[in-house]
Amino acid sequence: MAKQSLSYALEARAVAQLDDYVVDLAWSPDGKQLALAGGEGRVALATVGEKISIATLGEHVLGTLALAWQPHGKRFATAGQDGAVALWDAAEARQHKRWKPGVGATQSLAWSPVGDVLATAAGKSVTLWSAEGDKIHSFAPAASTAVAVAFDRPGTDLGVALNGELAVHRIEKSRFETRRYKWPAACLTVNFSGNGRFLASGMADGTLHFWNRSTGKDSQMRGYDGKVQLVAWSDNSKYLGSCTGNDMVLWDFSGKGPEGSRPLVLSGHTDRVDAFAWQTGGEHLLSGGRDWRLVLWRPGRAREPIDVQMTDGDISAMRWSPDGKRVAIGEKQGRVSLFEVVVR
Amino acid sequence: MSVTPSRVPVTVLTGFLGSGKTTLLNRILSEKHGKRIAVIENEFGEVGVDSELVIGAEEELFETNNGCICCTVRGDLIRILGQLMKRRDKFDYILIETTGMADPGPVAQTFFLDDELKNQFQLDAIVTMVDARHFEQHVDELNEPAEQVAFADLVLLNKTDLVDAAALERIESRIRGINGTAKILRTKNADAPIDKVLNVGAFDLNRALAVDESFLEPEYPFEWGGVYELAAGDYLLKTAGEHDHHAHEHGHEHHDHGHDHDHHDHEGHSHEDLDVVVFPVAAATPTGLTGAIEAAVRAFAEPTTVVRCHGALDALPGHFAIDISHPGADFKLMISKPGAYAFFCEHHPAEFGLQLAGQKPTAEKRFASHHHEDDISSIGISDPRPLDPTKLNQWLDYLLKTRGQDIFRMKGVLNVKGEDRRQVFHGVHMMFDAQAERPWGSSPRVNNLVFIGRGLDRAELEAGFESAVAK
Repeated sequence: MAKQSLSYALEARAVAQLDDYVVDLAWSPDGKQLALAGGEGRVALATVGEKISIATLGEHVLGTLALAWQPHGKRFATAGQDGAVALWDAAEARQHKRWKPGVGATQSLAWSPVGDVLATAAGKSVTLWSAEGDKIHSFAPAASTAVAVAFDRPGTDLGVALNGELAVHRIEKSRFETRRYKWPAACLTVNFSGNGRFLASGMADGTLHFWNRSTGKDSQMRGYDGKVQLVAWSDNSKYLGSCTGNDMVLWDFSGKGPEGSRPLVLSGHTDRVDAFAWQTGGEHLLSGGRDWRLVLWRPGRAREPIDVQMTDGDISAMRWSPDGKRVAIGEKQGRVSLFEVVVR
Repeated sequence: MSVTPSRVPVTVLTGFLGSGKTTLLNRILSEKHGKRIAVIENEFGEVGVDSELVIGAEEELFETNNGCICCTVRGDLIRILGQLMKRRDKFDYILIETTGMADPGPVAQTFFLDDELKNQFQLDAIVTMVDARHFEQHVDELNEPAEQVAFADLVLLNKTDLVDAAALERIESRIRGINGTAKILRTKNADAPIDKVLNVGAFDLNRALAVDESFLEPEYPFEWGGVYELAAGDYLLKTAGEHDHHAHEHGHEHHDHGHDHDHHDHEGHSHEDLDVVVFPVAAATPTGLTGAIEAAVRAFAEPTTVVRCHGALDALPGHFAIDISHPGADFKLMISKPGAYAFFCEHHPAEFGLQLAGQKPTAEKRFASHHHEDDISSIGISDPRPLDPTKLNQWLDYLLKTRGQDIFRMKGVLNVKGEDRRQVFHGVHMMFDAQAERPWGSSPRVNNLVFIGRGLDRAELEAGFESAVAK
């Protein structure tokens, strides 16, 4: 076994209870607060130190669907099945603004990297809002429902996952050119690589696609046993991680890239993985799921788990802190826990 | 470590605006059944549903493969149902109401195609509400009403108090022509018993697959037969309504024999002939009626004698085409020898309020509808010969690949060679579930298959079936 395999470990730091299914969590830029979104609709704010203390700020009736903290800012945005988008002020622990961007529920939210623009996808409409919640631009209604939106790292492009294509809108002052990356299946995710070279999407037909953004060349990765909903690039753009079952499937983009290659398959779970996250600024990967296991990986260094910790229930969400040292875990039963990566 | 809870049943309720879906929903929700029911309804559905949870849905269609309707699912339902499962206050039942123009196909397919939903939800039945007052008009003008009927496991023929008995028979026969296997319940104010609407188990392969037996019988040239005990004499045979021949007819006939009832045509009417056969039988009993079926089929193959209004049906046995263009058309049935008589009718007599005055049949029977006014219809195959599993798969594969778009529903119980158990299957478009069910035991082994779809070709389906018969 590789000698590094015992170098890192997860240590539990704090636990708290959100009275709701944890749909997502979001760290404040300073790593002192956590926003929490509940499946039944609860929107809460937690202060994170030695302990986690949770305060409920409000709700989205029928459930919260999306959560995103404003980069460099004091606000976070939520969207719910009630059709509303809300901006919450973390410093004052209250709702700042609430509005309905369109017909249907907003499924996805994304902040521009500098935090000045919030993109929302509701039904067929994608809209850009200022940090105050004022409308900047509405894109022409798409041909199908927009299920996910994401900015690229420089914030010049907004990717939208649609049925049969990823639409990439160039965000420049008063000019919005659109480039389309097509594949005849429903795109479920939109994932820009951090280095800007690739654009990937998990598909409803059980494939993962990536396009080379300079050539437009489309590559397809198959072998999944269901729709591909969990997709994320490692922070250094070396790996494209994905998961549809118990195993993590990583495609290696170093060297000549993954075409014609076999992926790295990481097996450490005995039940379905419902959440995974790449370490901010690091090489670690954390996965969690219905086997209550939290598994720490170091892809490329070890094929075996570096560490395994047990939680109290099905893991539904996880987010690394901005400094990459801690990770917040949410469970379906409402438990929120904090782990730290330590060197042993 | 995660436990798999029992799946939550889902009923899909379709039907046009105004057909009474909301009334039914509210009735279901207000009854004391102790169930927690969540309702998912289209954004612009009818207003006023009182439920613990009503969720608006927008029709978000996702095509999963090659853009074909057979692989289209509803993204909004996947999201909403996924969200429901995150709640701690679990629901026991889900009702999905779709608007009049929504295609029930993608809704049903969502429960076949999405693995997560499949594990958590069980499609119980597709229930279609039909507004008796407007159905005939809608089905002639639009595609959706016939499609909604085609998809249905249960048709609620609602607002029956707003049309007459003849219209109800006509509509029911039309519905039967489209969908030969759906149960039809007549309701006034959407007042169907709740236990007939919920937990029907239409998609549950574990329950015996109930295929309407009369539908699987061979098709007959008649829809109704009855037997009567008649004394010698003349009997009035009359359709419903007031006799309203224009005054000139009688007058003209007396002194202008060159004219006949063709006058009606000039006045915008057209002749409508109803084929009937009348002949003596052994006994006016159910057995006597059953024994008369073959003779009736033969009689229907004989040339017809056209009988105009006020005309007589005399030479018995006989095959007559009686002209029922007018309401209140009347004929004379002349019985010279007393005894038991069978009367078979091309359409159900109640569609026209046709009655033999003062007489009631001592036994009567409905027969499988054969007239396909709509391009959507049902075809049943019933055949005892065992099937070859490989050839069966080849046939069904080919059928779904080539005709999947046109086949809305299919279901059946199969007698597969070498299998001790009944093989049951059902499908929506190309989606298909099959499994072995209870053993045949001592019951006769027989294949019963039903296809409901657009432009179905019986010869093609029968040839396909033939190719799957074990040699």
